Amino acid sequence: MCLGIPMQVREVDGFMARCEAKGVERQVSLFLLQEETVLPDDYVMVHVGYAIQKMTETDARSAWELYDQMLAASPPEPEGA
Amino acid sequence: MTVSARSWLERIRALNLPERIRILNVCGGHERAITQAGLRTALPNQVELIPGPGCPVCVCPEEDVYEAMRLALDEDVLLVAFGDMLRVPVNVAKGEPRCLEQARAAGGDIRPIASPLEAVAIAQRHPRRQVVFFAAGFETTSAPVAAMMAAGVPGNLSILLSGRRTWPAVAMLLDSGEARFDALIAPGHVATVMGPEEWSFVVDRHAMPAAIAGFNPESLLAATYSVLRQSMEGRPFLDNCYPELVRPGGNPTARRQLDRVFRVIDANWRGIGEITASGYGLSPDRAASDARLRFPAPPVSRRRAGEMPPGCDCAGVVLGRIYPNECALYGRACTPRKPIGPCMVSDEGACRIWWAAGLREPHEHCARKQA
Repeated sequence: MCLGIPMQVREVDGFMARCEAKGVERQVSLFLLQEETVLPDDYVMVHVGYAIQKMTETDARSAWELYDQMLAASPPEPEGA
Repeated sequence: MTVSARSWLERIRALNLPERIRILNVCGGHERAITQAGLRTALPNQVELIPGPGCPVCVCPEEDVYEAMRLALDEDVLLVAFGDMLRVPVNVAKGEPRCLEQARAAGGDIRPIASPLEAVAIAQRHPRRQVVFFAAGFETTSAPVAAMMAAGVPGNLSILLSGRRTWPAVAMLLDSGEARFDALIAPGHVATVMGPEEWSFVVDRHAMPAAIAGFNPESLLAATYSVLRQSMEGRPFLDNCYPELVRPGGNPTARRQLDRVFRVIDANWRGIGEITASGYGLSPDRAASDARLRFPAPPVSRRRAGEMPPGCDCAGVVLGRIYPNECALYGRACTPRKPIGPCMVSDEGACRIWWAAGLREPHEHCARKQA
């Protein structure tokens, strides 16, 4: 539950935003970024569906690359002994 | 490994290191990145990276998991919880459901969610049902839960809160005089939310080197280099090696919502006990949304209530006292398919992370070079 996922904002509607990461879209709450201006094309770090901070495109892409490596390294389902 | 990460490694290898230096991390994300990137193998022998209290699922009180199961089975509520929580075992008599997943198989309406937003949506879709959100997590999860409540929740949604604060657990370890580490790598996203200042006590009160790190090898190695330099020069300070996201004061909206919706309480950590000011409870004006008050638990006497399962040393793993494969159950009785302790259940648990990275040998004497 603790994994932060960088996402790119596609559309903002009040406190909600349609965000995308690697082709996957999610509704994300901007409630915790009330003191920031969040616009389409911005990048945000998302935790359990809530954006907790804005970030740069470079940092977002670097994190995505890392997650690709992690996903490749770790199987999605529990594996047995 | 990137050029930048290699460069940090070279700088670390060029240091005239002391005989042994133990660096604690307190974040499952850090432990996963360290293990999967093979940083323990890459670092000089003198540098030990120790996984500590970085898994909110692992320390969630056994009583709270049991209460969530009771609500789903006895109170006819629709229970939602983060998916990680569903396989966390509790101590019950043989034949009874021992985790939320088994309680669901026994007829409980239990649904995994990935966000507090889903809890609200489910409550709205089922206006005639009582919906309980079993919310365990550290500050990075507690802040979104607070935001959910501040934004307003349906009257049929209540919350079974098991929010925990990270720094008080480290403070407890340091104050105990039994801390088995010499430096700290502080959690990047907790500091993003709460601000780096929360970790100043490590330096100010304990003169211990500390650095906040992000989640890629570069940032973790930069933080490692920083605490090594601080240690060798005898000049500890709180370094911020994740400035991309960690800013002074953290996220002010998140902190304000946490202050408004929750109150800080002394809280129980599974297998460890009560830690001062280490938890979140609902503020008194949110009592109407408190599942513990809406569905009061009958007094129950259970064997081993609150404890880790028999033979399980998850508490030692969480406290950084042993490596995962030093637990007698690791890889023998306890694997991700048949987990006994919560550290083998959660994606944030050190045992699960080590197992997923391919470390299959139990109880190796020198664990550090294997992960």
